[in-house]
Amino acid sequence: MKRTIALALTAAALSASCNRGATTGNAGTSKPTVALVLKTLNHPFFVDMRRGAQEAADRLGVTLQVQAAEREIDVEKQMQIVENMIQTGIQALCITPSGSREIVSALVKAKDAKVPIIVVDTRVDAKAAADAGVRTETFVGSDNYEGGKLAGEYLIKVTGGNARVGILEGIPGHETGDSRMHGFRDAVKGSPGITIVASQPANWERDQGFNVFQNMLQAHQDIDSVFACSDLMALGAIEAIAAAGKTGRIRVIGFDALDDAKKAIAAGTMEASVAQFPSEMGRVAVESAVKVIRGETVPPDIKVKLELVTKDNVK
Amino acid sequence: MIVPARQFGTLVGLLALCVILWILTPYFMTVSNLLNVAEQTSINAIVAVGMTFVILSGGIDLSVGSIVALSGVVLGTSLQAGHSLAVALPLSLAAGLLCGLANGALVSWGGLPPFIVTLGTMSIARGAALLFTEGRPVSGFDPSFRVLATGRVGFVPAPVIETTMVYAAAHFVLAHTTFGRYVYAIGGNEEATRLSGVSVRFHKTMIYGVSGLMSALAAVILTARLNSAQPIAGMMYELDAIAATVIGGTSLMGGDGTLSGTLVGALIMGVLRNGLNLLGVSSFLQQIVIGAVIVVAVLIDTVLKRKNRT
Repeated sequence: MKRTIALALTAAALSASCNRGATTGNAGTSKPTVALVLKTLNHPFFVDMRRGAQEAADRLGVTLQVQAAEREIDVEKQMQIVENMIQTGIQALCITPSGSREIVSALVKAKDAKVPIIVVDTRVDAKAAADAGVRTETFVGSDNYEGGKLAGEYLIKVTGGNARVGILEGIPGHETGDSRMHGFRDAVKGSPGITIVASQPANWERDQGFNVFQNMLQAHQDIDSVFACSDLMALGAIEAIAAAGKTGRIRVIGFDALDDAKKAIAAGTMEASVAQFPSEMGRVAVESAVKVIRGETVPPDIKVKLELVTKDNVK
Repeated sequence: MIVPARQFGTLVGLLALCVILWILTPYFMTVSNLLNVAEQTSINAIVAVGMTFVILSGGIDLSVGSIVALSGVVLGTSLQAGHSLAVALPLSLAAGLLCGLANGALVSWGGLPPFIVTLGTMSIARGAALLFTEGRPVSGFDPSFRVLATGRVGFVPAPVIETTMVYAAAHFVLAHTTFGRYVYAIGGNEEATRLSGVSVRFHKTMIYGVSGLMSALAAVILTARLNSAQPIAGMMYELDAIAATVIGGTSLMGGDGTLSGTLVGALIMGVLRNGLNLLGVSSFLQQIVIGAVIVVAVLIDTVLKRKNRT
């Protein structure tokens, strides 16, 4: 009995696979669908980006499909999502790559399905993309290198060019964190009074920011400034500073200007944070996607502004 | 040992899931999407083969994800150092196998609980992978290697064929060799197996070795698929593999289960993830659904088992 049911189901399934195969190509008659594949949705940055993208999608009358991996570093899961989204006949793909090189394999699949690609926030490795024959329509994002530089120049200004700095890096090998760190390092390079005493990855995470900075403090009692490549790590470091009873004696500069970071800046436990505008990125990404769908051209590189938030301008 | 009725239950579950998704979304039941699901499932399915061996013997292996990462970076760095696949592949498989054998030796000769040993290896192998690569991914390989994941035979993706071959071989070992019989025997009653003159220690070591080897095979496909070997790859793979195994009806107490069940279990996980993506379900809700399916599948299994016994 059970066997019969199963056979019937299998038969039904197989016949369906033949019928349905032909009907998937009819997109375009209804509202166009744009996919936004994020690194994760458990970070306020990407939640803001989704909000901006959704507002633009509503305004322009397109359907927006937002998906993200459970963890920010899970490239394989992100690749699966891209593959699955392609199956639903999306007309454009906006993506924040979890890995600059690794994502290229997924983008090849989008290219093969003739889905235009808009890269957001984190760049795709240019050489890897070229080798695979992947062409992206545009990159929408802030210049992370410039942001890091902004932070470095600010540190020189407030310390008068004398500081012993600890750096909390992002995930090693990721373009976003590397660019911020290099921007910062290049900015302080010319100041002989500024010494980078330690530089360790804390993988973008708050708890790791706490632990890594606690360890740095153990090893280097004289650290007086921190540059964290993201606010979550900066916030972790602030907790570690508080635990060590050094609140107010160590300057913390972060990146992203998250709400919690702004509160910390207002409260005086944090010095500054480089603000990006993720909702702006989401908005521009969807607008660019719609332009591409309509056959209009978009510039290959769209810069979204950066701003340093300090206690003087924090809202 | 093999209870067709229960395996059948899992299969019916998979088919029911497919039918539901077929009704809910027009994009699911297409040839290209089904091949897509099969391809996406292959990595977890292969890791789950090793996990099934270990769980059948009454153990657990938490280190599979880290071993995927370590064998992956061994493969990646040897390929980038200019070695041919004929050199790099055995090296990477050896790395996985050695990790597994070390697990097995510590469990059997060291007398330590598998949970603790593999928890330790999980951290050691991950750290080794990070140390080995200084935390950076190793990317960019020759197309002749990448064909292992990107190639197609006819219209079937290469990983699907590789997975099928792994399952055929593993099924043969489990069902038709003395080693396979001992896997069940050790999980069923270790003491009795020992008393009947079987070298339980040796066989247990080999069982964990199989698991390490399977992780290394999965790493080959993963590396080819992403065109990159990442030291942070494979995180949480142990949980996906355990889920596939238990959804497939293998008892966590050992001694009872089948590989075909595990394959169906892995497919259920893959179909579910794919279907939820196609439906545009929020990523947070997806985690809840997947978790619920794992619990419900095992619950049904347990209830059926109880009925069968009485």
